[in-house]
Amino acid sequence: MKQWLAIHLPRLSLESLAAGQDSPLAVSEYRAGRQQIIICNQAATLAGVSPGMPAAVAPALSLSLRILPREPGKERAALEGVAVWASRFTSHVALAPPHGLLLELAGSRRLFGGFRVLLPSLQRGLGELGYGFHMALAPTPEAALLLARSGRRRWVTDLAGLRRVLGPLPLALLPLPSGRLDDLQGLGLRSLDDLLALPPAGLRRRIGSEFMDWLERLLGRAPDPRPRFQLPDCFQRRIELPAEVCCRQALLFPARRLLLELSGFLTAHQAGTQRLAWTLGQGAAGERCFHLGLLVLERDPDRLLELLRERLERVELSAPVREIALEVRDLQPLAGRPLALFAEVEGVDAELGLLERLRMRLGVDAVSGLQVAPDHRPERAWRWADPGSGVTAMTEVERWRERPLWLLPEPRQLRVQNGRPWLGGRLELGVERERIESGWWDERPVARDYFMARTASGRRLWVYQELHGERGWFLHGCF
Amino acid sequence: MNLDRLLQQHPELQRGRHLVPAPQPAIASGFPLLDRHLPGNGWPHRAITELLVSGNGGYALALLLPALSRLSRKPPWIVLVAPPQIPYAPALQAHGLDLSRLLLIRSTREQERQWALEQALRCGSCSAVLAWPGRLDMTALRRLQLAAEAGDSIGFLLRSSSAAEQASPAALRLRVEPAVDGWRLDILKRQGGWPMADLMVTTDH
Repeated sequence: MKQWLAIHLPRLSLESLAAGQDSPLAVSEYRAGRQQIIICNQAATLAGVSPGMPAAVAPALSLSLRILPREPGKERAALEGVAVWASRFTSHVALAPPHGLLLELAGSRRLFGGFRVLLPSLQRGLGELGYGFHMALAPTPEAALLLARSGRRRWVTDLAGLRRVLGPLPLALLPLPSGRLDDLQGLGLRSLDDLLALPPAGLRRRIGSEFMDWLERLLGRAPDPRPRFQLPDCFQRRIELPAEVCCRQALLFPARRLLLELSGFLTAHQAGTQRLAWTLGQGAAGERCFHLGLLVLERDPDRLLELLRERLERVELSAPVREIALEVRDLQPLAGRPLALFAEVEGVDAELGLLERLRMRLGVDAVSGLQVAPDHRPERAWRWADPGSGVTAMTEVERWRERPLWLLPEPRQLRVQNGRPWLGGRLELGVERERIESGWWDERPVARDYFMARTASGRRLWVYQELHGERGWFLHGCF
Repeated sequence: MNLDRLLQQHPELQRGRHLVPAPQPAIASGFPLLDRHLPGNGWPHRAITELLVSGNGGYALALLLPALSRLSRKPPWIVLVAPPQIPYAPALQAHGLDLSRLLLIRSTREQERQWALEQALRCGSCSAVLAWPGRLDMTALRRLQLAAEAGDSIGFLLRSSSAAEQASPAALRLRVEPAVDGWRLDILKRQGGWPMADLMVTTDH
């Protein structure tokens, strides 16, 4: 027995254009021969604006009211965004445009631990995405949509119960052909029960077969296959911001919505990603693109938001931002995290966490490790490395016993007085010297005699004398 | 309640000449002569130690190396925040530091360096953090101290000796000057003891 969950988003016209706006906002559309307000937000309602009002009249009620034209394209994109997010719960998602979505949940019920767990999880997620919704569960898609559109929260799991729930519904809610509603109400019929009590053949002649077929599908007597929503292979979504945004903090709200949808997309594909391509549209000033690169595959929206927050610090915003877009193409398989029997210590995650946070904020080049390289020439005996990758080969340790802790980037030439090197005072040279001659193979030959030296104040230095050429003295490191 | 217990429970009470054992565990510095004069016989764990140096203080790194090498044997990172020059990897390895645990942070902006320092101390996945911070006021120092406590790490701040007059919430403050075969230390502040001057610590290898 299939279980269809219908999600109706009554305020999608508004929420797809402007999320979380405090100033009065209304959406208008051309209906019945004039521009009408079809929906408005809470601030506008308080000012007195209501649906059905002519759009020419509304601005008189509130000076700061903004009226946006309805954009079906954006509504469709937003609906598809929610469908992508909902794919994490089931593989069978169907669109019921303009404002509805259907999820077939019979298969997912057991996986998610029953409806008692699944439904609140869905509700929380929709709330986080920022959409107002009505939900209903029924054995047939049409019934679920009907209940959700009328705002009745019902969870019906079998056909008998469905008949009981649908019976009292008033006729006005049913998609009757125009004009028939008055006729039927004139006959004294009030609810669906009354309608179903009449002989079906006569009803079909009077109301039309289209409605009767719909009724059959509603009650589960006829099949109602719904085409599946096809999940795209890559994630591409763009949100236009209702007002220009100048500060980074405010960008995080639409970014969070994008990340939630991305998370649903990745869960549905059972994948994670290491590369997110963000684009900030700045209107006439062009676009600012940047990447968020990760060390491990990730799909958790909270973690991605944290990393984005750090990364945004390094992005220059030369002009206010008007839209934000996210594209993810590179998917790799990532299994779900298995439930641990005991709470594990989050050791490994915390280490990677610090590294990633530092990289996001300071740039990849700012964070690195060190490595030794097998070369006799001191300045080439070390290398930059990825943190954590320096291999400890302890075999050559003894020979490097007397290396200074700090090596100058370039050897510094020292003055010579009386045949001895001089740096702020006479340098005392140690007795032992180390001769390093190497590097003939790559055009950087080195021929030096290294000495340990001590300054008048007691600091230990590493100096050398060139063996060829001018035989000058140089400072190369400090201990 | 006898005197010893009172002194142990209240580290802000100090006795004249003897050191009171510290409530926090400490990391042995590798120099027994120094350890004898430090509360807990080592660098204070979960706290900040300030080393006041002249110049850029590179000579003080060798004083910290034995402790750092020991700490580098266990998993989390040893972090160096904005060293004035690049430490020489072969020498670090020769002193026993595990290079795969070393994390070097370089940044040109002072604000970013301070942020990185606090993050590293607080995160719980660094055992020791060495930094060469610029100007630090009392609030910033206190935050770093709290971060070290929260993240279970040791912080070593190498600052110029002109900062000696500034009050600081660090658990341990030493002035370090180079000397023949080692260093000359003045202990400016330590928990459970009076300041002490002219401690000569030698490298013994």
